[in-house]
Amino acid sequence: MKSDNDKYIRMTLNERVQHFLLLSSFIILVITGFWLKYPEAWWVRWITVLIGENAFNARSLIHRIAAVAMVVTSVYHIIYLAASPRGRKLFMDFLPKRSDLSEFGNSMKYLFGNSAEKPRFGRFSYIEKMEYWAVVWGTVIMGATGFILWFKDYFFKYISNTGMEIATAIHFYEAILASLAILVWHFYFVFLNPDVYPVNKAWVKGYLTRHQMEHEHPQWLEEIENKESVDGISENREPNIVSENTKPDKKEELTELKTKTDKNKKNELHVGEVKSDVKNVTDEKRITEINENEADKKKEDNV
Amino acid sequence: MEYKIKNIVLGIISICLFALITVIAAEYSGSKAKSTDDCLSCHEDKDLVMDSDGSKKSLFVNPELYKKSAHSIAECTDCHLNYKAEEIPHSADKKVENCRTCHEDSKGLEKSVHVKSQCIDCHSAHDTKKVSELKQEGNANCMSCHKKKEIAKFSSTIHGKKGVKCNDCHGEGHNVKNISRNQVTDMCGKCHNDSKMNFKGSIHHTVFKSGGKNTPVCTDCHGVHTTISSKHSIQSEACLNCHLDEKMFPGTETGSAKFVEQYKTSIHASIKKGDMESAGCTDCHGDHMIDSPDDPTSSTKRARLIETCGKCHADVVAKFKKSKHGVELMKNNEKAPTCSDCHGEHSIKSALLSDGASKLVMADKCLDCHKDGKIPHKNFKGEEELITGYKNSVHYQALVDGNETAPTCSDCHGAHEMELAENPDSKISKKNIATTCGQSECHGKQFTNFEGSIHEKGVTAGNPDAPTCNNCHGNHGIVSKDLENKLQKSRDLIQLCTNCHGSVEMIERNELPTKVSETYKESFHGLANRGGLKEAANCESCHGYHNVRPSSDSLSTIHKNNLPQTCGNCHPGATEILITSKIHLTDLKEDSPWVFWITRFYVILIFGLIGFMLLHNIQDYRKKKKSKTQADNEK
Repeated sequence: MKSDNDKYIRMTLNERVQHFLLLSSFIILVITGFWLKYPEAWWVRWITVLIGENAFNARSLIHRIAAVAMVVTSVYHIIYLAASPRGRKLFMDFLPKRSDLSEFGNSMKYLFGNSAEKPRFGRFSYIEKMEYWAVVWGTVIMGATGFILWFKDYFFKYISNTGMEIATAIHFYEAILASLAILVWHFYFVFLNPDVYPVNKAWVKGYLTRHQMEHEHPQWLEEIENKESVDGISENREPNIVSENTKPDKKEELTELKTKTDKNKKNELHVGEVKSDVKNVTDEKRITEINENEADKKKEDNV
Repeated sequence: MEYKIKNIVLGIISICLFALITVIAAEYSGSKAKSTDDCLSCHEDKDLVMDSDGSKKSLFVNPELYKKSAHSIAECTDCHLNYKAEEIPHSADKKVENCRTCHEDSKGLEKSVHVKSQCIDCHSAHDTKKVSELKQEGNANCMSCHKKKEIAKFSSTIHGKKGVKCNDCHGEGHNVKNISRNQVTDMCGKCHNDSKMNFKGSIHHTVFKSGGKNTPVCTDCHGVHTTISSKHSIQSEACLNCHLDEKMFPGTETGSAKFVEQYKTSIHASIKKGDMESAGCTDCHGDHMIDSPDDPTSSTKRARLIETCGKCHADVVAKFKKSKHGVELMKNNEKAPTCSDCHGEHSIKSALLSDGASKLVMADKCLDCHKDGKIPHKNFKGEEELITGYKNSVHYQALVDGNETAPTCSDCHGAHEMELAENPDSKISKKNIATTCGQSECHGKQFTNFEGSIHEKGVTAGNPDAPTCNNCHGNHGIVSKDLENKLQKSRDLIQLCTNCHGSVEMIERNELPTKVSETYKESFHGLANRGGLKEAANCESCHGYHNVRPSSDSLSTIHKNNLPQTCGNCHPGATEILITSKIHLTDLKEDSPWVFWITRFYVILIFGLIGFMLLHNIQDYRKKKKSKTQADNEK
């Protein structure tokens, strides 16, 4: 049953959409933000070549649209964490624990010390927790200072010009910190990391392979397998991979799912009904996965 | 015996004398009384007339006048030769030859113009006058024959009024002559010696002597008998008579008829101000002593023009002489302009500086010569400015567009004073230029704002570093403030202020606030401007243009009380401004310690955290690579 090609769900479509919104708004915010601080930079000249001489006039508007997008995504994320069972589990898994400290200590020993034992990471390692909470911290700080700077005319009388200067300074240095953290910390683990090089596709496809699981999250893999041996197939395992041949005709399944999602879409207009939305997203995810598998198969056939 | 003889002789002589006297008396009185009285017995009748060719001719002889006349001793028949009493009318000769029987000497009359005249034409027939009487009678006698209008007016001319007699010019007695053109000058010169001498040195006389037919003598300009002396009548009747004739003066060059004709439209020909008469030919060219234009002493020669024009325009010429133009002209610098170079020669027009057209003409005139000239000091951009830059200026454009108040060269430099900025008393010296530009009808509002500003105080105190109008706006090439490229304009303005407020020397010398330019450029306003936001606040948005004052001044735009209004111009919501630290944070630690420590904190955090991340990942990479190669090797 265990194969290197087994796939384990890392991010659901809903989570991937959140991630995509976060990353796109983040990149736009980084570009449009540093564009203001370094208006004569070489890459700014490329922007004006690409967009036009007056691109700067739209800069602040783009920055604010992206900021709103990021804040809205963050708010949705909080609702998601609170309202869906998967979200609640996610939140609990992200919470720092005492064991993270020993894990970090072991990692230090392994990386910089004499220890030959590689720490075995669970669903989220200290690396990823740092990552996550840095984003939370950064969003709050950047959101707050950015809001003050946006509505400066209103805030001026309460926080004085010194307050504005402080907000400006924090907004700037936090931006540098966040950008460098993403570049050095996050991009390393997603792109340069030899285990996933050239890219960890989980943020696009949503799953990790068994091989990746073994290297990156052995503890988690163990947990899943233990649970599977007790409960049967876990929700973290791609069901179609496990029993490819026993599955009904995919075309049939696809049409069935599509009608289901369409129905859900009609009902999902209410913000409160997160559950149905989550279901809907899972179904949509299923559709994309089926399509992707089809595509993969075709590729293999071609080879 | 002896006694007897004596008596006898005396007696005989007495008898003889008596007899002689008696005979003579009897003879003489008897015959005279007989003829003249006989004639008068008829001819003293006033109504005695005879028919002559159909008209009545009076035959009246006034016996009283006759008896008083020089001929009272002569009998009628002495003159009326071949008189025949029996015939009526009496045939009688009435010829000059009749006079000749007594007056044998003609005294040269044959040679005079009166050779064909009868003696009685001048001397009269019966009331014949003596020479002394004729002299007393004077011109009237001549004019009884010479009845031409021109001559009749003689008595009302200046000559007539001053008692000049015909024969003063035409000769005495029987020697009356016509005067030829050759003789006129000398004839008039008898009385008008100065004019004669002047005239003899003139081009008119020189050409005349060398055979020029049309050149004038005295009478050509002054008239013969109707002598005129008014310059205007001379001008219109005399000078222009010849000098407007294109056959005499062809072409279009100086001296041609066309050239002279320009005078007619000139201000000199038309204007009359109060009692001042307009200027005529002779006012500039002289009257009798009209020189050749090539003569270096000619009144219209370039170098002498200032004297010639100065006869009427003394105040203007006095100013001009002090100007650089005037000084150079008097040094005989050929390039230096004289009156005519700017005002023209015959075509001199009114140079009213309220007239836009003449302002433009002036600019072109000045720039004709100053086309390559540079302004001696560099402008605010650090560039050399050309004098011709004026043509690109907003001032010139305004003139072209019909704004007659816009300035031309003379409005700033003075027309004749032609002052340079180097002259501390000139209108455009550092000290005075603000008042010149700030005349109420020009930039009065801006001047009011400038007054009392810190820049103005510096200028007034004589600080050479302090800026006045031209230091910021430029000299000749003052461009419009309504530049299309607002961003460029904003950046230019920042650069302009930075020229001084970013210069270490300037800051040290004048104790200016430091780092204002750098801190601005790093501020949000500065960054937005650098990025390309044309609305971004620049120096003037807060400090004002002309009314730049320190924040301690209650009239300053950046005084605490005025800041809400100043900031509110761009930030309408910012009605209450809370300022707790400096705006230009020159020393972060001192001016805004919060920002300083936050910055310090973040720098340490960034270096520490990101440094750790880098090390962590490098090590992670190495380990993973190592275990990967190990795994590969095991395989």
